[in-house]
Amino acid sequence: MLSKKPKARVIFGYLCIPMLLYIFAVFVPLVAALFYSFFEWKGGPNKTFIGIENYITLLKDATFWQSFGHNIYLVILCVIGQVGVAFVFVMIIGTRFVKLKGIHRTFGFFPSTISAVAVGFIWTMIYDNRRGILNWFLRAIGQEDKTQVWLNNPDLVMTLVAIPLIWQFIGYYMVILLSATAAIDKEVLESAELDGASAFQTAIHIVMPMIKSTIVVCIVLCVSGNMKAFDNIYVMTAGGPGTSSMVMAMYGYSVSFQQQNMGYGSAISVGIFVLGLLVVGLTQLLQKAATREKE
Amino acid sequence: MSKNKKYGMTTGKRMRNGVTSVVLNAIMIVFSLSCIFPLVWMLYSSLKVKREFNADIIGLPSNPTLENFVKVLTNPDYHIGDSILNSVRTTVISVALIVFFGFIVGYFLARIPFKGSKIIWIMLLMGMLIPVHSLLVPIYVVFNRTGLSNQWFTLIIPYVAFGMPIAVFLCQSFIRELPTALEEAASIDGCSFSGTLFKVIMPICKPIMITVAILQTFSCWNEFSFALVLIKDTALQTVPLAMTQFTGQFSSDYPKIMAAMLITMAPIVILYFVFSQQIIKGMVAGAVKG
Repeated sequence: MLSKKPKARVIFGYLCIPMLLYIFAVFVPLVAALFYSFFEWKGGPNKTFIGIENYITLLKDATFWQSFGHNIYLVILCVIGQVGVAFVFVMIIGTRFVKLKGIHRTFGFFPSTISAVAVGFIWTMIYDNRRGILNWFLRAIGQEDKTQVWLNNPDLVMTLVAIPLIWQFIGYYMVILLSATAAIDKEVLESAELDGASAFQTAIHIVMPMIKSTIVVCIVLCVSGNMKAFDNIYVMTAGGPGTSSMVMAMYGYSVSFQQQNMGYGSAISVGIFVLGLLVVGLTQLLQKAATREKE
Repeated sequence: MSKNKKYGMTTGKRMRNGVTSVVLNAIMIVFSLSCIFPLVWMLYSSLKVKREFNADIIGLPSNPTLENFVKVLTNPDYHIGDSILNSVRTTVISVALIVFFGFIVGYFLARIPFKGSKIIWIMLLMGMLIPVHSLLVPIYVVFNRTGLSNQWFTLIIPYVAFGMPIAVFLCQSFIRELPTALEEAASIDGCSFSGTLFKVIMPICKPIMITVAILQTFSCWNEFSFALVLIKDTALQTVPLAMTQFTGQFSSDYPKIMAAMLITMAPIVILYFVFSQQIIKGMVAGAVKG
């Protein structure tokens, strides 16, 4: 800390604009959501106070809980598909066999820099019934009967919208984990190899414990990223067919803006807030536990 | 030979190594190609006309044409140029403000003990934990009430606010590591507080400010959901919004959609491939430290 402190007036002068802007864009809407959630309000000039009725509806709203379930499903798929696969790739790149490491880094990272909207469109074109690459491929290998209108299949749709997300971020987590493994002493790995440790044993018993804190950071990022899934689902299915690919943010959006039910939409926003905070909070506790264990 | 002796390899082991090598390289090459394949596929497919694309979706164009690009760029209804301009303006102003505010607030939190610093700290921490989509509906309501929605500057407000916590934390932890002797010396030399802040500290913080700028450039450029609810005017829409517009308008004309997507993606894709090493470094640093 400094020996000479600026005057309170100076401190206030510097901090008031950024903090006011921050409060206006983050906390004012939160309070507003809480306020409007107690009203029956269709977005027009009239609104009626209905107490906690919106919340009672929300607790019984099967679609809302289904959406929450879909978010959790996405989180699980993506933790395995993004962080898990990224770890496997890191181990593969780490072997002395693999060439072109720099290219894998640059190309692998690329999808994570383009917008989820663009990724959603690209994959919609891949899944397209008549002109999609997936059906083209199935026809090419003689599996014509397996072709279908992919995104119209309610049983598959959640997995199909998860695949672009997984694909988009494998490289991102791969690069983060790679930077962590770069700090591992090469001699440790070499002596393990000389002692006859298999690649699998090295990965589980040597590399994983050494980069545990980075893996946990990746999992936290992955969980919070997927709790806010919206963009690519909006683009690919808009939650359909029916509500088979509805996630919380998409449901809040469609209730508020397509059904113009702003009061209930605000209650859903509060629900997203509470559930999102709960899930992200739990993961962070996990992170704390994991790092403490290490010390 | 000497290498083989060292590891005591037999012919069988060498062959097994050969197979492993081919398999592992193949896995990584397939993955890397899958990551840029969509871009390459869009690049050459956008040079086809609709009929040719529908007949063969995967083949190279037999007589490449720039027709799609011309059509997309010359039709003012699509607002392609406007959307790029809007995205550039929103991103540049937002990132500049995020970096600047992040530096200022980060400096005060790292160096100056003052009343209210705890509250600011907690508010920023909460901002990082809040699920942003719970703000989607209420921010629309608040912005509509105050007449702030659907203006050229509308999106800058939430983007700066959402980018601030991470920027402040990165700058704060960077500045905390600097020796206070810097400011002490400047103050002995008669340098004012503001002078020290901008002429002494800010230049030293350049690396962390660049990291923040890289992180935020991509998130501002790609942001979609808040643009979707806050912008109604097609002339004001940003690139991701424009994409949803023209995919609707062009319905099944895939090559034309691809041409439009390529044009709107171009700035960020070029930026990535020119500065990929710095960008990867910055994004990783931001992710791990945040």
